[in-house]
Amino acid sequence: MGVSGWFRFKGRSLFSWAFTFQRLTGVVLLIYLLAHLTYLSTLLDTTGATYESMIAITVSRQFLIFDILLILCGVFHGVNGFRIILHEFGIAYGYRKPLLAIFIVIAVVVWLYASYIMYSLTGG
Amino acid sequence: MVEFKIRRYDGEKSYWQSFEVPAKRGMTVLEALYYIKENYDSSLAFRASCRMGICGSCAMKINDKPRLACETQVLTLGNTVKVEPLDNFKVIKDLITEFDGFFEKLKAVKPHLIRKDDNYAEPKELLQTPEELNEYYVFTLCIKCGACYSVCPAAATLDEYLGPAAMTAAYRFCADSRDEGQKERYEIASSPNGVWRCHLAMECSEVCPKNVEPAKAVQLLRRKTAFSMLKSLLGW
Amino acid sequence: MKVYHDIVVVGSGLAGLRAAIAAAEKNRNLSVAIVSKTYLIRCHSVCAEGGINTVLRETDEFDTHAWDTVKGSDFLADQDAVEFFVREVPTEILRLNSWGCPWSRDDSGKIAQRILGGHSSGRTVFAADRTGFHITHTLYERLLTYPNVDKYEEYFVTNLVVEDDTVKGIAAIELKTGELVFFEAKAVILATGGAGRLYGFTSCSHIVTGDGTALAYRAGVPLKDMEFVQFHPTGLVPAGGVLISEACRGEGGYLLNKNGERFMEKYAPEKMELAPRDIVARAIWTEILEGRGFDSDYGPYVALDLTHLGEDRIKERLPLIREASIKFAGIDPVEEPIPVRPTVHYFMGGIHTNSRSETPIKGLYAAGECACVSIHGANRLGGNALAECLVFGRVAGELAAEYALNAKQGKISAEFRQKEEKRIFDDLLGKSGDESPYQIKKELNETMENYFWIFREGDGMLKGVKKIQELKERYKNVEINDKSRDFNTDLTSAIEIGYMLDLAEVVAIGALKRQESRGAHYRLDYPKRDDENWLKHTLAYYTPEGPKFDYKPVSITKWEPVERKY
Repeated sequence: MGVSGWFRFKGRSLFSWAFTFQRLTGVVLLIYLLAHLTYLSTLLDTTGATYESMIAITVSRQFLIFDILLILCGVFHGVNGFRIILHEFGIAYGYRKPLLAIFIVIAVVVWLYASYIMYSLTGG
Repeated sequence: MVEFKIRRYDGEKSYWQSFEVPAKRGMTVLEALYYIKENYDSSLAFRASCRMGICGSCAMKINDKPRLACETQVLTLGNTVKVEPLDNFKVIKDLITEFDGFFEKLKAVKPHLIRKDDNYAEPKELLQTPEELNEYYVFTLCIKCGACYSVCPAAATLDEYLGPAAMTAAYRFCADSRDEGQKERYEIASSPNGVWRCHLAMECSEVCPKNVEPAKAVQLLRRKTAFSMLKSLLGW
Repeated sequence: MKVYHDIVVVGSGLAGLRAAIAAAEKNRNLSVAIVSKTYLIRCHSVCAEGGINTVLRETDEFDTHAWDTVKGSDFLADQDAVEFFVREVPTEILRLNSWGCPWSRDDSGKIAQRILGGHSSGRTVFAADRTGFHITHTLYERLLTYPNVDKYEEYFVTNLVVEDDTVKGIAAIELKTGELVFFEAKAVILATGGAGRLYGFTSCSHIVTGDGTALAYRAGVPLKDMEFVQFHPTGLVPAGGVLISEACRGEGGYLLNKNGERFMEKYAPEKMELAPRDIVARAIWTEILEGRGFDSDYGPYVALDLTHLGEDRIKERLPLIREASIKFAGIDPVEEPIPVRPTVHYFMGGIHTNSRSETPIKGLYAAGECACVSIHGANRLGGNALAECLVFGRVAGELAAEYALNAKQGKISAEFRQKEEKRIFDDLLGKSGDESPYQIKKELNETMENYFWIFREGDGMLKGVKKIQELKERYKNVEINDKSRDFNTDLTSAIEIGYMLDLAEVVAIGALKRQESRGAHYRLDYPKRDDENWLKHTLAYYTPEGPKFDYKPVSITKWEPVERKY
């Protein structure tokens, strides 16, 4: 079947959506992290000017959409990951449905708030 | 009239085929399949036996969800019913999938009571209180239909993964007060194809037609396995 | 292809599993094969709900269990077999316990017992209302521990090879490949279950087509008492007869006719809905015959009304019945009555064996519903079927093992193998014709339901016999549309229908010949039991022209026949 098995959610419950999203965001974060670290480790400029100019690009209106998506990935992966850790070893298994709903709401709220801050920072 | 769109496979190619079935109240998907077999196309192959939801033969994907055909009412599904074989199993013909591997995995977890005093000739009455029985009873209800395995993302990417049904069976015996074989099973469960492969997608519990809650069983087995490993590491 | 085993067990229900375990346990060097047309746990045994009768505690006695069984059988049971049987059950229960069966328990942790209809005390052990399911799974799991047992799952048996009154092996189609496989064996145990699918309206699984019984019959083993067919009074009507358990009536459900009357007051004023199965079944059918039943797309029915019990009580006490009725029939018993009518439940008759599971053929054993020992006689008591499978499955397994240790390996000749290949693949699969096997099955079901149902009578049965013989003729001309080899369920269904036609003829002629009413066999033209002429077993022998009948006396040890009253 291969990894395509992770992306079948026709007819599936919200749990499968959460799983698929967790995988997807995980991959995105991994790629981001690698790029981030690679970039930082190749910086030769000791004054920090190159770094500052890079930050200036990312905190800009044109870049906002990527920022917001990146925040979504981070927030969802973190919040949903916390939910999964909670359920590890069968704990709170009986509450898995309400917990899923609560954690998704938390993720969305945190994401919207963070997006708003990012929006403000980019001069809104 | 309800349109049945059936995913067929003849050993070489797979294709969709549609049939019109006169549905009435009370008709199940399994009865509709028999109607098609006996009136339109007798080459249609599917498994069925008890038609009362206990033998586990007729699990298939009906409108994208794995269900038992015998306990799914046609009229609850709308005007079009899509029927496909289960995912994560190799298709042999039409709706029939290869289950040999599934049962091999079940066997691999030693799903039977292990006791040192096993005495075939003169068994004695082992006691068990209703509370002890309730500890594991729900996990004995598994009919091995394969629905859980078909939606498991871990099984989708790793053929050797034991899967929810087998591990539920393993936990069912580990939690039985009469059993003395926990250690052997924890070793199997902590193998690379065991409990640690579960990603908690928990879809297995959502589709189980008997509400056995395999996701819970896998996690409880994971807990027991982890504690047992910890104990042996610390030398307790 | 040819394979060799010391013992081949055909059928994977309770009796088959138990026989395989017994044989494998007897001697670990014996190689045992278990052959089944489904995966092992997909058998019909998993459908059994009620429980197993056994004398487990000191308050009960073997003789009372035996007496209840003999009385229940309307005195047609062989009493020596019954006496042996009741003494063997308790050990089986304890064995299952130590193999992991989740028996329901009392507070002290002992195995709990409850009472079923027709018993004088509570001696039925149970595992919730899924007794058959749990025992089957327990045996299956135990079976996995024997390295000397090979499982052949999804092999459809086509022939039983007998030469010089000795069994040589079997032939079976491996469904996945469509290849014919020949099993050469020293001993063969048949445990293929009943033949409930002779009737369209039945509580039996789709696979209950009497394969082994028909094969034994064709191979020359007589069939015993096939005319006795048990009806369960309440089968769910839109679902083709799925069982609605007696618990509904136990909880206070009413049986109502079209006029809204609780008609049981006419038939059993004291016990009302809780009268024995055969009485309730006959009462329901009388109401339907006399036009007081309801009509539906799925045939006539009476109403099993639970609505007056209230939603809470139904949800608390009868959750499974509510679930079944919603899932299988789309009807919620909280809101409307459940449509029911009597459903074919069990075949008392079967392959003739002695009280130790041995058939007249050397090396051939039979156990379970496909066999007739007979401990059920003319009417089986609820809770005795599972017990029979365990006890006689074990006996068959052990005796087959003993026999196999000293027997020569069976040989199936090349000539026979070619003949069988030709019979299945050229003469049946390859040929063209103008009959549909499914049409024949439909007409067979109708015939059985019209003439060999709860009430039988001479003229009707004569018509029925003629019709069955006509169907047998037409069957010679069937065409199988699916010409492929792999997993050809079209072919196997057609073969099953062939088996059923043979058995139907035996049931029909046997019923026509038995001029009395006894147990489940009720004749309007002979409404009384006739011990003078008919206290004997029917034996049907295969001949190409149709069955030849003979009779055999009933073994009576302790209990002379008296009137059967409850």
